[in-house]
Amino acid sequence: MTHAQIVEELLAFLALDDADEAAFGTMALRLFAYQFEHNAAYRRVAMQRGRTPRTVRSWQAIPAVPIAAFKELTLSCRPPEEAERVFMTSGTTRAGVRGACYHPTMAVWERSMTRTFRHRFMGGDARLPMAILFPDAAAMPNSSLAHYLAVAVREFGAADSRHLVDGSGLDVDGLVTMLETAAAAGRPLALLGASFSFVHAMDALAERGCRVALPEGSRILDTGGFKGQSRTMEADAFYDRLSATFGVPRRRCINMYGMTELSSQFYDDGNESCPSVKSGPHWVRTRVIDPLSGAEMPVGTPGVLVHHDLAHFNNVSAILTEDAGVAVAGGFLLLGRADGAEAKGCSMAVAEFLAAAQG
Amino acid sequence: MREVAGYLPGLDPDSVAWRTLAFGRGGTDLEVAVPELTPAQVAALAERVRAHARSVLKTMPVAEVVTAVDAAVARLLDRDDPWRRRAERLLPLVTGYDAEMVRHGLTSYLKTFRKPELLRFLAEDFANPGVLDDFQPVPKGGFARAFGPDLLLHVWAGNVPGLPLWSLVCGLLVKAGGVGKVPSAEPLFAGWFARLLAEVEPRLAGCLAVVWWKGGDAEREAEWLRRADTVLAYGSTASLEALRARVPVTTRFLPYGHKISFALVSHAALDPHTVRATARGVAHDVARWDQQGCYSPHVVYVERGGGVDPRGFARHLAHELACQAIRFPRRALDPGDAGGVAAWRHAEEMQGVADPARELLADPAGAWAVAYADRPQPLAPCGLNRTVTVVAVDRLDDALPCVAPFRPLLQTAAVAAPPRELFRIAGLLGAAGVTRVCAPGAMAAPEAGWHHDGRFNLSDLVAMAEIDRGAELAADALAPYRD
Repeated sequence: MTHAQIVEELLAFLALDDADEAAFGTMALRLFAYQFEHNAAYRRVAMQRGRTPRTVRSWQAIPAVPIAAFKELTLSCRPPEEAERVFMTSGTTRAGVRGACYHPTMAVWERSMTRTFRHRFMGGDARLPMAILFPDAAAMPNSSLAHYLAVAVREFGAADSRHLVDGSGLDVDGLVTMLETAAAAGRPLALLGASFSFVHAMDALAERGCRVALPEGSRILDTGGFKGQSRTMEADAFYDRLSATFGVPRRRCINMYGMTELSSQFYDDGNESCPSVKSGPHWVRTRVIDPLSGAEMPVGTPGVLVHHDLAHFNNVSAILTEDAGVAVAGGFLLLGRADGAEAKGCSMAVAEFLAAAQG
Repeated sequence: MREVAGYLPGLDPDSVAWRTLAFGRGGTDLEVAVPELTPAQVAALAERVRAHARSVLKTMPVAEVVTAVDAAVARLLDRDDPWRRRAERLLPLVTGYDAEMVRHGLTSYLKTFRKPELLRFLAEDFANPGVLDDFQPVPKGGFARAFGPDLLLHVWAGNVPGLPLWSLVCGLLVKAGGVGKVPSAEPLFAGWFARLLAEVEPRLAGCLAVVWWKGGDAEREAEWLRRADTVLAYGSTASLEALRARVPVTTRFLPYGHKISFALVSHAALDPHTVRATARGVAHDVARWDQQGCYSPHVVYVERGGGVDPRGFARHLAHELACQAIRFPRRALDPGDAGGVAAWRHAEEMQGVADPARELLADPAGAWAVAYADRPQPLAPCGLNRTVTVVAVDRLDDALPCVAPFRPLLQTAAVAAPPRELFRIAGLLGAAGVTRVCAPGAMAAPEAGWHHDGRFNLSDLVAMAEIDRGAELAADALAPYRD
């Protein structure tokens, strides 16, 4: 199977209305065979686990690669230097070491993004004015989120959409202007950005005593959590405050959950109550497993999330995350990070050791 | 099941507000009530302990204190004693540690506090322990006597069963009134010991108290901190830093931070006759308390040139950890702990794929894991809970640069080497900041009188009061029998 063939097959698969278990499984196994053949590092991981296209009979058995792998290995079916885009991970877990995801074409990534975004965020609207609380893609060429937001503006943004964050920080005046313009014109506005940028924005607006009631149909998309870039807020407090600051009801505050190591995103249907149920499109399936034994956890029992994202075709489709979650009807709940332990006794855990060794 | 933690002599339990901490494993639930004292209750308790320490403890010869502690410890060593049975039943529920491990670990640890061992503690720090009872002649001339604080505040941390006993007993040996704050992770043992001690030696009943406040409750903590003469605290770097900032400058502060330990295996310990015993010892050290102790090893530096090469040693170690997992199963991990182990394992596994010099040997069910590195690696914590890295070195000396950058964090090094090599390497390790060298298999069982983290258990607690030689001479001039 060639690169062109798999891209063509995937674009057709993404265009389907839905995919049942069997259809998803068939496509996933074809893609595993493709990745096993063309991605040498992934082949080594799979063989070390005794999983090959000959032994793997169900999509659930496709070996998932931990996200740590992207820091150690070059996981790409096509030569990395041919990549149209390279997205880098943030490198927060091991100082300085960043992982890379190579995209020889953005066609599948962008089809995945636009199709799901239209369905899960835009509702019936073709275009909306967008206020983007994140730097643009020119400023962050290796950021998958910057690219995501660029595609959102390009495909779904009205002409007066704007990026409001750059190297000097948040353009509070610009934000206030956009909010006031939207309120005066009675035209819905979409606010999109990193969760921590919303915290900064809300703090800046509160300082000015600025609160608006955006017109009906306005909506908010936040993503990525706080990552030490702003103070941490409990989800309920965060959405209460978003709602109070911008006059957007919590059911229209959508949280997107995405990763550099994927080519698709998950959404909830608003955050009237938290944690909200997340789900993805028909070309993504998520399992909840015990991170040590790999055993699948029963519905309702917490574990770690494994995503099988068929759109992530050039790298590895099966990704073992460090995100804790629980399977529920209609999707999964995200429960936070599951990447660090604290010593229960007087021994040292990694984070404390790093802090002490640097301090 | 419900259990009351703490020991509050003189306070009416009905006047105290109790908070419930929930524990439980394997379908058995345990609720532990911990006291939340008001500032007035703190004041009353502190005053009572201080007064009793002055009027009772400080007038008892140290030999009688030793006898009392020995009697209490004898009760805890007796497997038919109700206190011991309670500890064996409840500590596994509270900490999650395997019941057999708790039983073995408790016995091994409690043996450190029998009379002969207590005398060793005294002999380690005082050439003449009589200084704790009365003025004794000192070599420079004159006399000296050692006074413990009236109120010694212990801030304990972590869930290793029995850990508080070390400082609690040291405080008693220097006749300090003691108030200990138990950690939420294991709030029971210290209170039991205080009650048992009061049972075997009623005179000591008012000299100790065991309390609790929620970690980070600065207000309650401050009530105690300003009343203590000396504060001895265990905990993470961050919690000790926060505590130190709140201790009055005139109060002595003795911090015991989290530490990291490791092992060194000489090629001489790797012939076919000795390799199994060496690996078994290291596996025991890794498995004990699921690697939660400051003395638990994270990395084993193994020298090339033996009958078994370092990679082969890693396999022996993996086998022995598998045996430990059967004999003393690891406790059930909460999602955070499991995530920590998984993150470490996955990173090691991927490094193994990327680099033929690395390898991961891991239990498929996740009970243990051994990572192998074929060239020197800096010391680094593993994922805890029975995860360990074996690092090959050409010579044991090559391990020194790997550990030296972490001097303030180092504690125990297990060394498997012939006598001459043991002393040579111990010299290098000591210079690098290691404060304890032991045999593999003994890391989790420090000997009585060990200088914890290189410090003096008892003499750090006391203040010496001295009578100048000149004062003696001057007194002679005033004696009624002077010529």
